[in-house]
Amino acid sequence: MTISLLGGVFLGWSLGANDAANIFGTAVSSKMLRFHVAALLASLFVLIGAVLAGQPGVETLKGLTSLTANQAMISSLAAAFTLLIMSLLGLPVSTSQAVVGAILGVGFMNQQMNLSGLSKVVACWFGTPFGGALIALLLYRGLASLYNVLPLNLFQSDMVLRIALIMAGSYGAFALGANNVANVAAVFVGAGQITVLEATLIGGASIALGILTFSRPVMETVGKKLVRLDPFSSLVVVLALAITIHIYALIGVPVSSSQAVIGGVLGVGLVKGMNTINRGTLKKISFAWFLTPVISCFFSMAAIFISRLQYQPGL
Amino acid sequence: VESLIYSYLGAFDLARENFREAFQCAIETPQCETFDFLIGRTHKYESKADDIREEIKTLMYGKALLPESRGDLMGLLESIDEIPRIFEKILATVQTQRLNIPEFIIPDIQELVRISLGCCDLLTRQVTALIKRTEDMRSLLDAIDTHESHCDHLERKMISKVFAEDIDPFEKLQLKELIVQIGDISDLADRTSKRINIINLKRRV
Repeated sequence: MTISLLGGVFLGWSLGANDAANIFGTAVSSKMLRFHVAALLASLFVLIGAVLAGQPGVETLKGLTSLTANQAMISSLAAAFTLLIMSLLGLPVSTSQAVVGAILGVGFMNQQMNLSGLSKVVACWFGTPFGGALIALLLYRGLASLYNVLPLNLFQSDMVLRIALIMAGSYGAFALGANNVANVAAVFVGAGQITVLEATLIGGASIALGILTFSRPVMETVGKKLVRLDPFSSLVVVLALAITIHIYALIGVPVSSSQAVIGGVLGVGLVKGMNTINRGTLKKISFAWFLTPVISCFFSMAAIFISRLQYQPGL
Repeated sequence: VESLIYSYLGAFDLARENFREAFQCAIETPQCETFDFLIGRTHKYESKADDIREEIKTLMYGKALLPESRGDLMGLLESIDEIPRIFEKILATVQTQRLNIPEFIIPDIQELVRISLGCCDLLTRQVTALIKRTEDMRSLLDAIDTHESHCDHLERKMISKVFAEDIDPFEKLQLKELIVQIGDISDLADRTSKRINIINLKRRV
């Protein structure tokens, strides 16, 4: 059981490496926060979010298909390798897409899928960036009107922004843990290997490990290559991300924090003018989103196929 | 950092007041000991402002303010810092070239110095308004702009007057250089004022 769980831990580590960028990437790349502080805060709140609010998502994903212990491990590894490849390329991809792609691959090979559950998850993939954009747009307008009338001097307003960004990032990490822990450990609950509470603990801890050890390169991509955000816009994007994925965590659908953050950036771009968006990078990221479930599905199908090969003497 | 910025502005004001005294002295009794003393003191205040600016820089990059605000403030202080350098340059011109300001331009040159230093005073208020959000920045910006236009007009008028006079051509060139240098004070104050306005606009979301 321990060996098969390592697949989940590996996936959680990849998720942490990738998705912490969505929470603190803009803050770190704009040098509002030091990387080490951001990584520590993110890992702590991811763990808290996973344990306290991660159960609904685990329940949803474990119902997508029936897996054996080996298949659970294979699907986790397939998703993790997909994320690792995308991370090395410096692209913020969707862990949910990687996980569902991998589960889909196993489901194809088993010829057994819960299509209604799958369609609910896929529908939410599309809803995430639009939801993120809408929330960011409303937040920007609301918070800006409040911020502009606050009687703060230059030093006070800087302090307020910095504290708000740390709080929003911590909330984002909590929401990420709550929403995405299912991607890491739900298959093992489905395979009957661990309880839901154990899943959230192991999942949360492995995401935290990924944040602490390998999240820096993607943080820099998100912050610098996509768009140059001012401190206030960074705050709005992080808050929009946190609210979006927290909503999905409450209704039990793991979604992509990458999609939510891109939606948030687009929402801010709509308020401030689209010229703040680097369209080239946006296209590249969109391409990666499309490829992620396909690659992950292919990996898990190939792994299941290989695991079923048998040596036959005389052939 | 905030109190250091006020100290910096204090040193800037002292340099300005000292320059006013020194220049008045240059008009009334040029090449006297008091003039040399006042030049030395202007340099002292200019150096003091420089030291404070360095201290602000070290402190700001160490732990205070967001990166964007740091860059804006440092750029602003560097821009203000150019003005005391011009004070020194003007006094050095008078001292090293043993310049005697002729009677016929004294009222105009005094007016030019008065308005230019008035721009500096408004600039100090504008910086304080940027930090504390106490005063209307737009009206200060407009006032500096108006003063600067007036200075430009005076500058042209004086240069024409100098070249219309029957004096040594070399002296004409010396006086022209002095007038242009004094005119630089309001130009720089105006440029810095516009910079403050941009920083202020950037801070609105």
